[in-house]
Amino acid sequence: MDSTLSLKPRGKGKGSKGASSSNDKSKYQLLKEWSNWSLKKAKVATHYGFIPLIIIVGMNTDPKPHLFQLLSPV
Amino acid sequence: MADLFPPLATAQVDAKTKVDEKVDYSNLPCPVPYDEVHREAYMSLKAENFEGFRFDFSKGLNQKFSLSHSVMMGPTEVPSQSPDTTIKIPVAHYEFGANYFDPKLMLVGRVMTDGRLNARLKADLSDKLILKANAQLTGEPHMSHSVFNFDYMGKDYRAQLQLGNNALVGATYIQSVTPRLSLGGEVFWAGVPRKSGLGYAARYETDQMVASAQVASTGNVVMNYVQKISEKVSLATDFVYNYFSRDVVASVGYDYILRQSRIRGKVDSNGVTSALLEERLSMGLNFLLSAEIDHKKKDYKFGFGLTVG
Repeated sequence: MDSTLSLKPRGKGKGSKGASSSNDKSKYQLLKEWSNWSLKKAKVATHYGFIPLIIIVGMNTDPKPHLFQLLSPV
Repeated sequence: MADLFPPLATAQVDAKTKVDEKVDYSNLPCPVPYDEVHREAYMSLKAENFEGFRFDFSKGLNQKFSLSHSVMMGPTEVPSQSPDTTIKIPVAHYEFGANYFDPKLMLVGRVMTDGRLNARLKADLSDKLILKANAQLTGEPHMSHSVFNFDYMGKDYRAQLQLGNNALVGATYIQSVTPRLSLGGEVFWAGVPRKSGLGYAARYETDQMVASAQVASTGNVVMNYVQKISEKVSLATDFVYNYFSRDVVASVGYDYILRQSRIRGKVDSNGVTSALLEERLSMGLNFLLSAEIDHKKKDYKFGFGLTVG
């Protein structure tokens, strides 16, 4: 009796643990993959967009410089 | 009414002598950031020597916004198998940069012809918390680095949290212990080479001198001393010892700040002599001359350059 009683919860525990562990595993994997994907996209966005961002921010400050001043070498 | 004045004068004199004699421990100055503990020594001893030709042109479009163009031509060192020979490959590149300086936000970006981006950001999130970010991004995979620093400036201490890519986490803390002495410590954990480290630093400064020391669990012990001889001259000496690899380097350097020029040089115990001269030819036009002679490895580097703006 005791053995069956003790087995049942263990079995249930194992079953539920098994299910939750696979769920947890996939959640963790999902989180890792999502964060990797977003970091890769952020890196590409920064690589191409940082200098244009500085130029846009700078061209909108007072006194506003002209586009000609940006492009001319003098 | 006349009675009021003499007591006030004596009270002021008393307060002044009291400040000289007794230290107010609740009112200590804020220390320098942990990364800048050796700042004065490295101004003379780690000058930016270069090899080849350098031309920097900086154009300000605004008070806050400026662009920079720089051209560098010269040999760059490539790591070689044997430590005796140095392999140099001549290389030339052009770098375009944009800077935005605001009291609360600073953005600096530099991009080279081969696509490498060097980006720096400094933002004041509040009047005590500063976010600094530094990134070197390349097109090649796994060759990019980025570091984010959160600096908190307290009344007489500074704390910094550092997060980098490849799971790099670090924290530093520095505290003023007396008006002249500040002590600090750092701890870091790097994910990729699974290493963790611990370090301590101490800095003692007066109006005429600065002495600082740093010990790290990587085995490095750094001690340096800077003496300001006058407004124009300061001398520095440095001692670096690694107790794992038993490497010892001692160096002595000088920094002369004259009206039209600034010359910095040092002599090393590795047989390296170097000097860097920055001469102001006229308003906004600077001429640079750099020389580094390594007698042991027989490596001679000379460079000259011009900085406009």
